[in-house]
Amino acid sequence: MAPPLPPAAPDKTSDHAMSRRSFLRGSAAVSGLAALAASLSPLRELQDFTSTEEFLQKYYKELTPEEMKRVLARIEREVERQYGIRPHVRDLRPMDGVEFVYCLNLTRCIGCRKCVHACVAENNPSRNPEIQYIRVLRLPHGSLDLEKAEHRYAAEQVPEKGYFYMPVQCQQCENPPCVKVCPVNATWQEKDGITVIDYDWCIGCRYCEAACPYWARRFNFAQPTIPRERLNPEMAYLGNRPRPKGVMEKCHFCVQRTRAGRYPACLEVCPVGARKFGNILDPNSEVSHILREKRVFIQLKEEMGTSPRFFYYFDK
Amino acid sequence: MDTPSPIPPTPDPFPRRTGYVLAGLSLGFAGLLALFAADPGLWGRPPARPAVPPVDVKFLDTAPWRRSYADLVAAKEDLSDFDCYACHEKNKPPPIRYDANHRIILPKEHSNFSMAHGSHDRNNQCYNCHNESNLVTLQARDGRELKFDNSVPLCGSCHGPTYRDWEGGAHGRTSGHWDAKSGPSRRLVCVNCHDPHQPRIPGRAAAPGPRSLREETPPAVPVPPTSTR
Repeated sequence: MAPPLPPAAPDKTSDHAMSRRSFLRGSAAVSGLAALAASLSPLRELQDFTSTEEFLQKYYKELTPEEMKRVLARIEREVERQYGIRPHVRDLRPMDGVEFVYCLNLTRCIGCRKCVHACVAENNPSRNPEIQYIRVLRLPHGSLDLEKAEHRYAAEQVPEKGYFYMPVQCQQCENPPCVKVCPVNATWQEKDGITVIDYDWCIGCRYCEAACPYWARRFNFAQPTIPRERLNPEMAYLGNRPRPKGVMEKCHFCVQRTRAGRYPACLEVCPVGARKFGNILDPNSEVSHILREKRVFIQLKEEMGTSPRFFYYFDK
Repeated sequence: MDTPSPIPPTPDPFPRRTGYVLAGLSLGFAGLLALFAADPGLWGRPPARPAVPPVDVKFLDTAPWRRSYADLVAAKEDLSDFDCYACHEKNKPPPIRYDANHRIILPKEHSNFSMAHGSHDRNNQCYNCHNESNLVTLQARDGRELKFDNSVPLCGSCHGPTYRDWEGGAHGRTSGHWDAKSGPSRRLVCVNCHDPHQPRIPGRAAAPGPRSLREETPPAVPVPPTSTR
């Protein structure tokens, strides 16, 4: 019987340069570095850092006119760098003695969705992923049950028999739940009745989206993409200037148009004249006439107590 | 028996097989590293979104459906269609012929429109609107003679409620400026949308509907419910 072998001493003089320990140490270092690189890799997508100027910008309502001028110049610069088009960005304030109201004739609407796309063309929302402010609901005749509504209808021809159409967009409530839930006051109601959003102040918590009973608010989940040739260069700070990723947006009654006295884009394109817009404080305006004389029968979901400034009416 | 025994071969502390395994593992890690470096998509970025083609610009057109006589005059268009006495004789109202069902027979010179005003044929008479004693004018029901570019009172002489709605702004479209101090506005007239000979507005194709991030197929069009109207 051979005597038991003495325990082999670690062979320090072996030809193998790598010991188990050094291999483990090396592979741990390599995988640690790889993990660090992987965790930092989202930084590679940061082409556009928030400029110091934007980072230090004050709250909209605290900006002095000179500061506002600098802010608008910064936005023009940034848009030009991104799209190669020099925009005209303005800060339009509400007019005195004006409160906007929208009326929509449900008897006339044919559901052609031209308003949806005119709005997109005007307001510079992201095209991919797609953001649209107006949703046209198709409802069966004789009911206003929104559970029966369909907004992805695809018809050869509209109007379809047996249905009516109800476009829904921001209702510009007099008692807006979205404003109440905003933790940073990035959205508020102005004196002409338009609820606006400061895209530079929004933190993207989406509380307002959850609070809105009309699904009027849209969130920029991704960096918005707009084809250069479809960019509308006539912009407003609280309106259609391009939004960054991670902020809310919604219909603002085209502040860049309506606060300059013009009609909103969705109205201008309506082929049947179902859309009516104007100043409710002016007794001679079209909307005053409609609210006085026509069968205005709903404010959408009026049981919510939001008191919309968007009225649906009928002809007969 | 004192011959020195040969030194027993010490077992290799680092067997060759382990060496192969470790080398293979290292190569595998290096390969993965190269793969991740080459394809940034593997870092957990979202997959590319399907392209969204821009909407057809015809859906962005704000022009009214039709052009009124006043629009044609303003655009200096060819107005020979409105020059009635190029063919007809003055002071001699053209006679109207009917078929066996008392439906009006249009002469072939006027075959470019169809007589479909209203759901019955009582309205489909030329001289309900045209002035038979002066063909280049229109005649309202109360006898007023109206020019072609002033056809709204003629329509209003029958369609009273709609005319009142139009006057107040509840029917038809007003474009331009809601604020008169800021700029002009333009209220479209009846014939900007309605063809007087067949006023019902035809159906048209709808613009594309919303897309979701997931490519969903829109639900099949259900059978419309029976309407009570």
